[in-house]
Amino acid sequence: MSKSFINAVIFTFLILGFFAYVCIYVTGLSGGGGGGSATGVNPEAGEKVFWGEGQCHTCHSVGTSGSGTRGPNQEGIASRAEEDAKKTGFASGLEYMVEAIVNPGSYVVEGYDNIMPKVYNPPIMLGREKILAVLSYLQTLGGEPDIKAVMKVKDKIPEASKKKVIPWVPPIEVDPKEGERVFFDETKAAACSKCHIMGERGTKVGPDLTGIGAVQTPQYLIESVLKPSAIIVKGFETMYLITTDGMAYNGIILSQNEEEIVMLVDEEGEIAEYVFYPEEIAQMQKQDISMMPGNMSDMLTTKEFYGVISFLLNQK
Amino acid sequence: MAQDGEEVVQYRNFFGLDGRLIVWIIAELHLMFAAFVLGVPIFAVIVEIIGAKGGDIKFDNLAREFTKLLSAAFATTASLGGLLAFALYGLYPGFMRYLTDVFHPFMFVYALCFFGEAFCLYGYYYSWDLLAKKGKWLHISLGVLLNLFGTALMFLANSWATFMMAPSGIDMETGLVTSLYHAFYNLLWMPINIHRLIANVAFGGFVVGAYAAIKFMGARTDEERAHYDWMGYIGNFIGLAALIPLPFAGYYLGREVYSASPVMGSIMMGGSFSWTFVIQAILIGMLFIGGNYYLWNGMGRIKGAERYTPYIKYLNVIIIFCFAVWLTPHNLPLSGEERALIGEQYHPFSKFFGVMAAKNAVVNLLILSTFFSFLIYRRANKGEIMPFSSHGSTAKIALIITAGLCIMFLAWYAVGLSGVELEENVKKYLSPLITCIVIQIFAIIITILITFANKGKFAQAFLFGVTTIIAVMYMAYYGFVVMEKANLVLRYLSVAQLAIVLSCLITNTIIDVFLFKNAKEVGGIRWGKMPMRTQYALLLLCVVIVTLMGLMGFIRSGLRMDWHIYGYMQDTSAGAFTPSIAYMGWTVCLIVLLFLSLVTFVFWLAGLGEKGKH
Repeated sequence: MSKSFINAVIFTFLILGFFAYVCIYVTGLSGGGGGGSATGVNPEAGEKVFWGEGQCHTCHSVGTSGSGTRGPNQEGIASRAEEDAKKTGFASGLEYMVEAIVNPGSYVVEGYDNIMPKVYNPPIMLGREKILAVLSYLQTLGGEPDIKAVMKVKDKIPEASKKKVIPWVPPIEVDPKEGERVFFDETKAAACSKCHIMGERGTKVGPDLTGIGAVQTPQYLIESVLKPSAIIVKGFETMYLITTDGMAYNGIILSQNEEEIVMLVDEEGEIAEYVFYPEEIAQMQKQDISMMPGNMSDMLTTKEFYGVISFLLNQK
Repeated sequence: MAQDGEEVVQYRNFFGLDGRLIVWIIAELHLMFAAFVLGVPIFAVIVEIIGAKGGDIKFDNLAREFTKLLSAAFATTASLGGLLAFALYGLYPGFMRYLTDVFHPFMFVYALCFFGEAFCLYGYYYSWDLLAKKGKWLHISLGVLLNLFGTALMFLANSWATFMMAPSGIDMETGLVTSLYHAFYNLLWMPINIHRLIANVAFGGFVVGAYAAIKFMGARTDEERAHYDWMGYIGNFIGLAALIPLPFAGYYLGREVYSASPVMGSIMMGGSFSWTFVIQAILIGMLFIGGNYYLWNGMGRIKGAERYTPYIKYLNVIIIFCFAVWLTPHNLPLSGEERALIGEQYHPFSKFFGVMAAKNAVVNLLILSTFFSFLIYRRANKGEIMPFSSHGSTAKIALIITAGLCIMFLAWYAVGLSGVELEENVKKYLSPLITCIVIQIFAIIITILITFANKGKFAQAFLFGVTTIIAVMYMAYYGFVVMEKANLVLRYLSVAQLAIVLSCLITNTIIDVFLFKNAKEVGGIRWGKMPMRTQYALLLLCVVIVTLMGLMGFIRSGLRMDWHIYGYMQDTSAGAFTPSIAYMGWTVCLIVLLFLSLVTFVFWLAGLGEKGKH
């Protein structure tokens, strides 16, 4: 075998060695240890799920491990959760963390967006045991693991959805651009931007829809448009308010403190802002009906409707 | 056969080894050999046509040598294909049962095309002498037919792979085929076809380049050295030429992955696979740097090239800068201390390099710089040029037709942009893009006029300058503007950038071809007088592109996560998890080593016959 051939072989090994080194280095950076299935409810299994199939690391770092910045860094989460539990009325930090996983939109950490998916739903579909394991791992970040306590909250965690992820295709051919036009066309009654913000445009009456496509399923969006009262996002419930002089108002509370309540009220398609003082309020009650019009199916053509859905799904 | 009540086997392992690992290795090896077998005939036929038209036997011999490698690799490709089929049917019987149910009519077509490819390949190779004199064009036609069969084979197999990623034409609950046509022509089929077609040519070019490098290093005579030096140059030229449009094909494919499934798109660019694209950027950067390094060193064997060497240091700086920006991740990892010090989550300066606006700009600059390297290499040996007008009306017509086609394409896209239905306050951000395209159209017209006035070199520089100012400098700035104010416009901006850069490359190539036709040679090219380090550059290009193919294979297949057929058939085997990047790295290294060892062995076998003849 000639010397030049041996040199070529050595050179090839050097290049491949460099590639392998980069891969190992990147694995350390990304925290994507991945691999292997984790079993049991324990911090070790939870750590594997966190950095692997749970995909938690896509958005959360732990200290200097990982690069996810969409969600809060999880370093010291256990002790922070105890403080948050006191503020929000939960019995323990663990219960607060359970709520944060089961209903991620309930308490969004200041400075972060409400983008966390429900991990027991598709496409992540984490089983109950794996979520419990993650909880036990999170307990070790700023605290001590307590498996018994973790097992006690197991009934609060839903079983993984068995539903399949079906890449969504509108039943008719539609153009998301047409959906965008409908969304922002405020000359029409069905303009979504009258009540929703997308990026920097629109009015903040209902939930902010920026990046909605990254966190919600097509089915959820379709239901939200056709049956707006089916699921009402926390903080956007309609309030029924009667004043001491007998006037009734339906609207969404924009702000509330000891001195005044500011309410957004729909007045024949236009949103008006009303300020009420405590002494003039006779009665105030949460309603199960959304303020969003329930007749969107009459206001939009089928093509416009699916166009809007496609447009929303493209917002990531 | 399973009896009633007996559970049908869905998965098996391979003598105790993980079935997925076995299929992964065999599939990737088959794919790599197939890429070589499909890529090489494309340029073998082109080289043969150049030889036939110019009457230079050197080109004919080169095309024949390419084909010799091809015929040796073909049998290995076929064997690996058979092995892959057995592995899939044996280790994943449940999944393959369904895939066969859906695609069995096309599987027969595949087998027929395979016969066609085999007959054409061996016919093409063995009839070389027979048809050398009187039937040259018949021989070339056979080569074209070989390419058509090869492309058809690849397109057929691609539809199965893309169906797994973006299934259509089936009922997603029951799996019942509702439209075989749509199952075949699914959303990702054409983007993959285009991407693989171009990538195969780049792959073939760089593998041939490495073959030539090994031969060069072991050559005993000056004649041999000169031949393999030239062959290495052609291999590098082909590889780089195909590499230039590849990022655009990749962008198209990525965009369609997003369209097919937003979840898959998020996993690709923002989830588990986002870091693999940083590794991809490193490998592609190595290809560009290696290719340019080879060209610059190659100028050392050309007398007269010293006139252009001062440019190289600037090109070096530009290319390394582009590379650095390209591989900067959006969320550059910062330690807790760094975050506290900076006071925000992203680095205040480098965060701008991580976004698409910056990346689009540097990719275009990288491509323009590499093209510039080509041009200075081409003219290194040329001295005084003939006036453009001396080439007669043929040159003028060729330039007018080529530039005219570029202008038509640009105008078509600009008209399309003006008709895009967008909200007025978003649409207004399209106007600067249309203005840029109109400026480029005028720049091309002025370039033609300057060329006709016998100032071709100045015309080329003018077009380069205008293109760089518009497509790189202005559009980089404007990219940040639209990202902030009208993100939707960014996708139009990328296409406008690409169209402007391509129009510059095409127009300048045609000018260059005629400008240096019959130009006086300064001192000739001393083929064979290449430093040994350049041959290592060729080796680097080969190893890197093979590794890159292994990496991209992992990404494309891994995007399905734990689904055999995304959204319909879930992978319930023990190997359904996504392996870590480190594990992937080791596996790809193993695959690359196996491929290179097999290729070396096969090429050695092919050379045995030649030794006998000598």
